[in-house]
Amino acid sequence: MRIRVDTELCQGHGRCYMLAPDLFEADDDGYCQPTDERAVPAGLADQARRASMNCPEDAIFLTEET
Amino acid sequence: MTDADTKKYSLEPPEVARNPHDTYRELRDSAPVTELGGRSQSGAITLSRHEDVMRAFQTPEVFSSDPDAVEIGNTRPLVPLQIDPPHHRKHRKALDPLFAPKQMAKHEPRVRELIRELINKVADQGHCNFHNDIAEPMPSTIFLELLGLPVSRVDEFLALKDGIIRPPARSMEERREKVRATGQKIYAALEEVVDARMAERQDDFLSTILDAEVDGQPLSRDDVVDIGYLFFLAGLDTVSASLECMVAFLAQNPDHRQRLVDEPEMIPHAVEEMLRYESPVASSARITAVDTEVNGCPISAGTRIHLLIGSANTDERSWLDPDNVDFDRESKKHIAFGAGVHRCLGSHLARMELRVALEEWHARVPHYRLADGIELEFSQGIRQIDNLELVW
Repeated sequence: MRIRVDTELCQGHGRCYMLAPDLFEADDDGYCQPTDERAVPAGLADQARRASMNCPEDAIFLTEET
Repeated sequence: MTDADTKKYSLEPPEVARNPHDTYRELRDSAPVTELGGRSQSGAITLSRHEDVMRAFQTPEVFSSDPDAVEIGNTRPLVPLQIDPPHHRKHRKALDPLFAPKQMAKHEPRVRELIRELINKVADQGHCNFHNDIAEPMPSTIFLELLGLPVSRVDEFLALKDGIIRPPARSMEERREKVRATGQKIYAALEEVVDARMAERQDDFLSTILDAEVDGQPLSRDDVVDIGYLFFLAGLDTVSASLECMVAFLAQNPDHRQRLVDEPEMIPHAVEEMLRYESPVASSARITAVDTEVNGCPISAGTRIHLLIGSANTDERSWLDPDNVDFDRESKKHIAFGAGVHRCLGSHLARMELRVALEEWHARVPHYRLADGIELEFSQGIRQIDNLELVW
């Protein structure tokens, strides 16, 4: 599974670093980091889904690798 | 929309203000793009479905936050709320760090100390007016301290804020005149403090903002006052109303209350779920910049729009079992803080204050209920409850 954040859509709601603290943290402005596309580490797929599902702006994109 | 449908619904009757969810549902099902009845609505169109509200929040080029969207006594745009992209982003960028979660965490000990002081005053008497004794003094004191306004003038500032947000007026003209006059007093109070900070900086937000740069230039005196005006209205009202909505819900739902007493670690989840269900800031104002269309209804440029956040947060098209308040709910996708570029700047401060207040209150006053015979009176727009009388 791969994850990325569209920084144009992200408005700093902060749900992702609250619900997926092993995948995201808040930067000094309160926006999430990191945002570049990356592989979701083993064991964190549930956090990745939770972050994506709960973003009010639908800014977090997941792609399942086959 | 036909004439018969126009102004058929209103959110102003006291019983609707107390429990708006049935009206929200009727609006979503039967009149998702409509003009509401009531004194304060004149000509504004209310959107009530989550999908439509989100689209409006996310397209500021169509649904503008221009000052004409709402009458709140200011003669220049509030910064950054009432400026649209692209200028908005630069100002927002300068202010975001002030309210980031890491900064807010530094203020948590002071918030906890203050809420304990306030609770100590009432805990042994077995009753209180939660609005007067806790929910109003807590956030307003914190906010005046952070911003750098004199806490000794809190009563004067609260009266000014109420003079804008809920002016006692019998007609639109009287309302407009009172709001305008109050706005001038707010400008005067802010200019006095900003001038003092220009002469000598203190450890407060106004001083930090005076040293901030946008496009490599310091902000002007007017810019700092216009930021202060927004903070004044937003900071002195919304957290109080949110805490009141939450405690009123818990006072009437003993199972939910007991859960927070038994499992205080659930409080952050409860805060999110009650923000969703109660939506203390029930709507957000916009004005159309161009002719547009929502759900097949044409809306001409220059129309005031109310985005009904409370309805969007309980829309069954977007939520499973939305009227069930479930602290274990997986989805925390609510838009109680708005959405899009103007998403509430103070949301991380609000969350921290609400969590700490609920933690301390339930540790000290675990069992409480509404006083006998009380019918809660919710104000319009921002859902403040002046008569939140509790007993324990």
